[in-house]
Amino acid sequence: MILQAENLEKHYGGKNNLTKALNGVSFRVAAGEFLGVMGASGSGKTTLLNCVSTIDSVTSGRILIGGRDVTAMSGKTLARFRRETLGFIFQDFNLLDTLTGFENIALALTILRRPAQAIKGQVRDVAAVLGITDVLPKFPYQMSGGQRQRVAAARAIVTKPALVLADEPTGALDSQAARALLESFQELVRTRGATILMVTHDAFSASYCHRILFIRDGRVFRELARGNESRKVFFDQIIEVVSLLGGDGHDLR
Amino acid sequence: MTSADLALRNVRKSARDYAVYFMTLTFGICIFYVFNSLGSQQAVMDLSSAQSMTMRMLNSVVGSFSLFISVVLCFLIIYANGFLIKRRKKEFGVYLTLGMERERVSRILIWETVFMSLASLVAGLLLGIALAQGMAFVTASLLGVKISGFHFIFSAAAIGKTVVYFGLAFVLNLFFNVRQIGKQQLIDLIYAGRQNETSRAPRPLLAVLFFLLALILLGITYVMAAARLFDSALLLNFMLLVGAAGTFLFFFSLSGFLLAAVQRSKPYLRGLNMFVLRQLSSKINTTFVSMTIVCLMLFVSICALSSGLGMARGIAAELRGSAPYDATLILRAETEDGNERPVFAPGALDPALTRSGGADLTAFAAASRTAVFYDASDTGVVIEGPGGEKPALYLLGLTDYNAALAMQGAAPLVLGPDEYGVNFGSGSAGWDRALTKYCAGGGSLTLGGRDLRTRESLLRRQALEVSTRRNPDLVLVVPDELLAGRQAKKEILFINYSGSSLEYERLCLAALSEIKTASADGVELSGLIETKIQVNDYLGNTTVTIAYLAIYVGVVFLVASATVLAIGQLSEASDNTHRYRLLNKIGADERMLSRALFTQNLICFGAPLLLALAHSAVGIAVAGQITRKIAGIDISGTSAAAALVMTLIYGGYFLATYWSSRNMVVRG
Repeated sequence: MILQAENLEKHYGGKNNLTKALNGVSFRVAAGEFLGVMGASGSGKTTLLNCVSTIDSVTSGRILIGGRDVTAMSGKTLARFRRETLGFIFQDFNLLDTLTGFENIALALTILRRPAQAIKGQVRDVAAVLGITDVLPKFPYQMSGGQRQRVAAARAIVTKPALVLADEPTGALDSQAARALLESFQELVRTRGATILMVTHDAFSASYCHRILFIRDGRVFRELARGNESRKVFFDQIIEVVSLLGGDGHDLR
Repeated sequence: MTSADLALRNVRKSARDYAVYFMTLTFGICIFYVFNSLGSQQAVMDLSSAQSMTMRMLNSVVGSFSLFISVVLCFLIIYANGFLIKRRKKEFGVYLTLGMERERVSRILIWETVFMSLASLVAGLLLGIALAQGMAFVTASLLGVKISGFHFIFSAAAIGKTVVYFGLAFVLNLFFNVRQIGKQQLIDLIYAGRQNETSRAPRPLLAVLFFLLALILLGITYVMAAARLFDSALLLNFMLLVGAAGTFLFFFSLSGFLLAAVQRSKPYLRGLNMFVLRQLSSKINTTFVSMTIVCLMLFVSICALSSGLGMARGIAAELRGSAPYDATLILRAETEDGNERPVFAPGALDPALTRSGGADLTAFAAASRTAVFYDASDTGVVIEGPGGEKPALYLLGLTDYNAALAMQGAAPLVLGPDEYGVNFGSGSAGWDRALTKYCAGGGSLTLGGRDLRTRESLLRRQALEVSTRRNPDLVLVVPDELLAGRQAKKEILFINYSGSSLEYERLCLAALSEIKTASADGVELSGLIETKIQVNDYLGNTTVTIAYLAIYVGVVFLVASATVLAIGQLSEASDNTHRYRLLNKIGADERMLSRALFTQNLICFGAPLLLALAHSAVGIAVAGQITRKIAGIDISGTSAAAALVMTLIYGGYFLATYWSSRNMVVRG
């Protein structure tokens, strides 16, 4: 198991107006799995991602990543743990506009103080998988949105992290770019054995996952595995669950 | 809510942004007031007439420099405020989108500027008034007078001047502010934060070429300066122009050059190095101009501080050794243009004394004595000083010399048979080495058919005249009998007063001028009268004026340049917060971020300082040669001290900038 979350609780506010953003969430992610987390706005899915990514702390419960309990770690070890074990992909790409594509990807390795001579080859390899070799010498403002997000994905994956956390990665992309990105994710899982946890509220994006966790009111509402179904069938199943989720369901496609 | 209310709330809300602007203004106003209030300090001191003339002179020199200084400070105010406006463009855009008229937005801006200006004016003046009290003691000690009791020093004139000068600067600043907002399109205001700076940085290969060209230009400047190829105004202007162009190109190509030089090397792919370098090169547009200005300002500051303080200290040292008697009257066998006087018999002063009638030296002098200096041009003695200098050479009888020494309380010189002594009044180290070498070598001298030798212990460094500068004349002290029949070149009358009253001085001056104008054997004598009091006053004058001007100009330029850098770095840090936060998210820890920030600040502060130090080293070396030649003053010692003090102030600014930008970026 790469990730084990046990009975996560996250409370906001004081005695009188207590909000339980997470109310006893438990789940597991196996190595090489592509897991989706869906839920309406306010369901607690972003809180869940923040807690797993060690950016936020839980009120109670345990999160084990690669067998290590991140809830017990101090600030200094957390930063180290984050750069060695986790990879991040954000909705708005978050590339450094002053660095080229190559440098943006290499940055994740230089922060880890990997030997300089090994860096070039590793960046080239991951760029080839994601089909962005051509844009490596370009600056972010010279790239399309899809290219930028794939550079961001390359940055997240180049360190070979135990777990890649993607927060609405297709949110700022058009459908064609989104499809290309999701296919690259599948490629990464297949060829590099990456483990990806993706938060999304887009059923189309979710249909590329192996398994989906639906979150409502801070709890796991439902779980859906694709198994051997085609993506089309899986997509219809997702739409079905989404309509059951209710609430802000209308902003789920 | 009125515009004024809104403005007040804005000022409070963006206090952090305004802090740098406020501090810059307050400091500028404070310095300006302190130096312009120097005149009022004399009211609390017990000054002689010459000393109060010093204060008047100082006041007028500072006054004329203040115009120049206020231009620098005005530039600083507009620069600091420009950054502030840039950061708040979006806010003004929101006002406009909400339907506020441009006039109203301008009015808010005007009110904000007025509040800030008033606050900083009051703060600056209060600080200045406090500082002026301490300054009075420094002035008093430099002039060697005492302040009895505590007096509150307050200069209404200086306050008025400060208010007028800074009022003008504020109005000018206001004009720029309102224009900057008024001419902007709404869309540009709203998207102000997202505008990418279009980089004007040269391509890597070009950057390397430019960098080499910059080094060549700077090399030309340095060589020209070292070889003193700036006799004509044209050459001097050419040299300064080439130097400025070299400096400009240096900073224009610096980040590109570093990038090109480092990009292919291993350290580039280590930690956040590549991020730091890219940060620097992406900011090239705004940084290279300010870095050039900062570098040149630092150069002015270093030169002003070190040469100014060095000269002041050198003069103060002169003060101690240059007045061995209370007064001297010097008669020379040469006129000012170097022509020989036709008749100058040995002992010319004595008949003059007898003929002067009313001149009774005993009325004021405890001791007086004359000494005659003879021509030495036929002795064949050639002594070269540092830089091939050849001073005037005289022969002096041992009796006269020892009598002159006895009047200043120095031990007499004892000559063995066939020996002669050497006396040189200037204290320069280079000369000391040259003369020691000469004496150690024996320096054979043939005089009146006798061969004389000297040795190291016969070298003396006694001043023999009262003068505002160390006398560079070289004197060979020989047995009296060898001087018979030689032509006299110079005669000096030494006088020591019976006491320290100013009345003696007056009597002495009257008597000496009478002697000077009296005729000896039908030829009118012309000579130089110098008294210890005159020399001390003159030197004190010069010391205080030069020292204060140096501190005034040096500190203003130093603080101005440090502020320009600090503002630039702080505003960049706040623009970069999102970049650092992102680095943190992908795993760079606090230590790495702090180090990146430190490196960035270090390069921005260090590069202009290093180049300015190189400029100054050449500039001061040349200035040092010149001052040594003109005044016999060695400024290299104080240059080092001034550089140290300067580095402390500048370093303080650097650390403060680093800490506050770290607070903004890493902790924020």
